[in-house]
Amino acid sequence: MRTRTIRAWSWTHKWSSLVSTLFLLMLCVTGLPLVFTHEIEEVLLEQAWTPAAPDGPLLSLDEVLAAALARHPGEVPAFMSFDVDRPVVNVTSVNPNGPAGRYSFEPIDQTSGAVAPPVAGHPVMEFLLQLHTDMFLGLPGMLFLGLMGLMLITAVVSGVVLYAPFMRRLPFGTVRATKSARTRWLDYHNLLGVITAAWVLVVGATGVINTLATPILAYWKNTALKELTAAHEAPASVGERASLDVAVERAKQALPGKTLQFIAFPGTDYSTDHHYAVFFHGDTPLTTHLTTPALIDARTGELTAVAPTPWYVKALSLSQPLHFGDYGGLGLKILWALLDLATIVILGSGLYLWLGKGRRKAS
Amino acid sequence: MSRKDRSLWAIFGAPLWVFVLSLTGLIGALLEDGAWDAVFSAFLASTVIVTVWALIRRRR
Repeated sequence: MRTRTIRAWSWTHKWSSLVSTLFLLMLCVTGLPLVFTHEIEEVLLEQAWTPAAPDGPLLSLDEVLAAALARHPGEVPAFMSFDVDRPVVNVTSVNPNGPAGRYSFEPIDQTSGAVAPPVAGHPVMEFLLQLHTDMFLGLPGMLFLGLMGLMLITAVVSGVVLYAPFMRRLPFGTVRATKSARTRWLDYHNLLGVITAAWVLVVGATGVINTLATPILAYWKNTALKELTAAHEAPASVGERASLDVAVERAKQALPGKTLQFIAFPGTDYSTDHHYAVFFHGDTPLTTHLTTPALIDARTGELTAVAPTPWYVKALSLSQPLHFGDYGGLGLKILWALLDLATIVILGSGLYLWLGKGRRKAS
Repeated sequence: MSRKDRSLWAIFGAPLWVFVLSLTGLIGALLEDGAWDAVFSAFLASTVIVTVWALIRRRR
């Protein structure tokens, strides 16, 4: 490589890293416990619980919804999801006049309508998640972290290019442990950087896609779902809505053999102003991550359409497991944690090498 | 250490193998479940194995 070319890549590597290192360190540090969210919350929130009537009949979804909303007067339903291993329906509601994004979450025992203890959403984990997602700054924070993710991708690509001139006289994996600290850390930085490249690129790129969730869903609503709402003008108010149970039954008929995952109520990010969006997922390892909604007219309870998600919503859906590392058992999570730690070492050593360079120049 | 520059293949051969194995592991684990998860996780574990190998065998 010519010296000028190396200089250009070097400049790119330096600045893409410097701009983003502190934020990437924050993402790595908060991401480490987040990898084990499920395991940590199992311990933190552990509570013996049995449903009020384990063998009794289940309440209808309308009854569950009413029980949840009775605890939050003035709020409207936003989402409903279903626990897999206990008869609990989770109802998320929101105050339509309150601040955006502030949701109430109520796990309801479907055998009694009473509140069940939560198995997710511990305040500490929620805090870490929020910091990791948007630094408590909402959409601008998310998009900013997405930009930092792009910087990370740039740094990895330029780092791999620069690996060649650094390694042209050294066998792969060399760590010159007896040389100066600077040389030693340069070797660690190069070794870990090139070894973790695939993982960092996947986690970085899927992280960037996840930061685009809001615009991706908004685009979907404004294009593909738009034509389905042409018949209506005013949003379907709570008072004029059809039975949820009827809507879900109708949706199940439209998508037989699929598993009900969650319901998005009218007016939320995942639905239109006029529909219950009833989301189902498939049963193969891949399709459990991909959802298809049946849109049910919230006024009549009739099926409007099955709306297979477009490629960019599918990309968003698949970006979640690939970013979280929660799709291959505990072994994969442990690897996620080790690679996260390696990334912290790469970021730290990169910063150290840059600071050392400045000092050398000054002296 | 030889004075001669190593070829691109000599420089990038091993990293390329790890890159391909990692990527296969990352995507494979998404496409399959059960025992395959362990197999594909092992592919991704090549990153850790190669690092440990280098730290032991290539430290000087």
